[in-house]
Amino acid sequence: MTLNVPVYASKTLASSFTDEEYAKFCEFFYRKTGISFNGKKRYFVERRLLERMAEAASASFRDYFGLLRFQASGTELQCLVNLMTVNETYFFREDYQFEVLTNFILPEVVRARRQGDHVRIWSMPCSTGEEPYSIALHILENWARADEYAIEILGSDIDSRVLEVARAGIYGFRSLQRLSPDVRGKYFSKISGDSFQLRNEIRESVDFSLVNIIDPLHTNRYRQVDVIFCRNLLIYFDDASRRQAVEYLYECLNPGGFICLGHSESMSRISPLFGPRKFADTIVYQKPIKEGLGP
Amino acid sequence: MTRKRILIVDDGTTIRLYYASLLSEAGFDIHQAANGFEGLEAAMTRRFDLMLVDVNMPKMDGYELVARMRGEDSLKNIPIVMISTESGEQDATKAYRCGSNLYLFKPVAPDELVATARLMTGIAA
Amino acid sequence: MLVRRTETDDPNPPALSKDAWIAQFSAPDPALRRRAVRALDSSAKSIDALIAQLGEETAPSVRSAIFNALSNAATPRAVESLLLQLRSEDAALRNGAIDALQTLPQLVGPHVERLLADPDPDVRISAVSILSALAHPDIPKWLADVVRRDANVNVCAAAVDALAEAGDEAAVEAIAALPERFPGVPYIAFAVAATVRRIKGL
Repeated sequence: MTLNVPVYASKTLASSFTDEEYAKFCEFFYRKTGISFNGKKRYFVERRLLERMAEAASASFRDYFGLLRFQASGTELQCLVNLMTVNETYFFREDYQFEVLTNFILPEVVRARRQGDHVRIWSMPCSTGEEPYSIALHILENWARADEYAIEILGSDIDSRVLEVARAGIYGFRSLQRLSPDVRGKYFSKISGDSFQLRNEIRESVDFSLVNIIDPLHTNRYRQVDVIFCRNLLIYFDDASRRQAVEYLYECLNPGGFICLGHSESMSRISPLFGPRKFADTIVYQKPIKEGLGP
Repeated sequence: MTRKRILIVDDGTTIRLYYASLLSEAGFDIHQAANGFEGLEAAMTRRFDLMLVDVNMPKMDGYELVARMRGEDSLKNIPIVMISTESGEQDATKAYRCGSNLYLFKPVAPDELVATARLMTGIAA
Repeated sequence: MLVRRTETDDPNPPALSKDAWIAQFSAPDPALRRRAVRALDSSAKSIDALIAQLGEETAPSVRSAIFNALSNAATPRAVESLLLQLRSEDAALRNGAIDALQTLPQLVGPHVERLLADPDPDVRISAVSILSALAHPDIPKWLADVVRRDANVNVCAAAVDALAEAGDEAAVEAIAALPERFPGVPYIAFAVAATVRRIKGL
């Protein structure tokens, strides 16, 4: 039996897609995920498009775009999103948000709180733990009032294997690169060659749990949260699931609570329930303190 | 002289491109947002000399965007022109009540768009 | 100081009857009303109660929960109720309905031709908005028909905009004829040229 193999694979990179095709794809991708590509990323984007076109056996960009646009399940778009996004995690990734946390968000959260009151921060998804631990370290190092409150840090993910890694708290040097030698020395002990383990008291201060963000029986266990970090997760969802996830997170937050998304993400494409707040050069989102009726 | 900066807020990609091409040819620096919420975020992030705001948009419509801007100290003085397919008197009244400076009907003629932008940003004709 | 959280909240809503949940729609706290919305199933009685509540509800978070519930129910009755919202004077209700309908291509499909023939141009524009993000194989044909026949320039403009992403070669002829149908509207000439370039990938 002979197989008809499409010829696209012989295209050179210079002629892979026309400017119109590239623009059409970028506009669509931005609309669906909030991710935009600048000119420098064209090579990267085109390579990955060609890769998915091969997998999907699409004979042309037009065919492949039709699949992306009209496939009801959205599966192909999901595959493409996974390929287009870089899924690495490390300590103090996008730490400008942790600066905003200690300089602006936490001071506002505790304004009406008394000494000893709880403050609850949720990292969701937490993956292998770098994000919730980063939050812990950043607070200990940078928030002068950390001792005045009982700060609960929660980390959740849908993948139990990453949670195990998170609980163990062992990381390679690559993951620690953004930490100063002082911070590294203070909170980690070297256990071998390239392996560092986070100190016991930090590991034990973070509560890790298995959560599927679109399962209300999972998210219902979390209430009175003050700050949620939900970075680079919602881009992987379809529109309906994304809206649903955001509504469950809304439910988890205290009135006036905050949610931080990844730097390429915006609530503007998802849901108008949260209000944007700007601190320094960063936009975060706040649940209304009291639900108004709008203008 | 620094170019005046305009934010176009409309959910139609092609109409944003159209306004952008007319206005950048007329010497303006153009930014775009696809709905009212995105427009609000853009206005919070960067200073604009004028905003052109469509009325019917998903997530946050033009009326709500304008009203929220007028409620924020840092945003309330930005000139805003609302542009709509609705040509009823009550729609214009509603726009002015929210705080819009001007109200135009779609489709907007090129000369009218450019002249309005110049007027609202204080550029002599 | 950092403390370990030791308790979690009970995830389960109380076990109430359908009528008891529906009665919660009059609770003053929007959180209780949201909980009631999520507790209901997709039976006809529940859908009717949700639709009725949508007519009364003013809190955005509860409205949002109702739209999600109707979308998740994915029944013909839920879709009919969402379609009625396209005529609402309230933009938030129209937009909520459009968002929900965009997730239900198979159920929305049978209504499209009727919507695109509605005497109200605003309803036709809302229909085009739905189509602009709907995953249905007939989208290019429906939008091309709008461009071919609709008498309202803004409805046609909305359809041309949607065709830039969703259009195919079969739509090009209808699109190219638009400037003749609406002479003296410079935007139409621009939109036609941009959309044809986009469809052809030139």
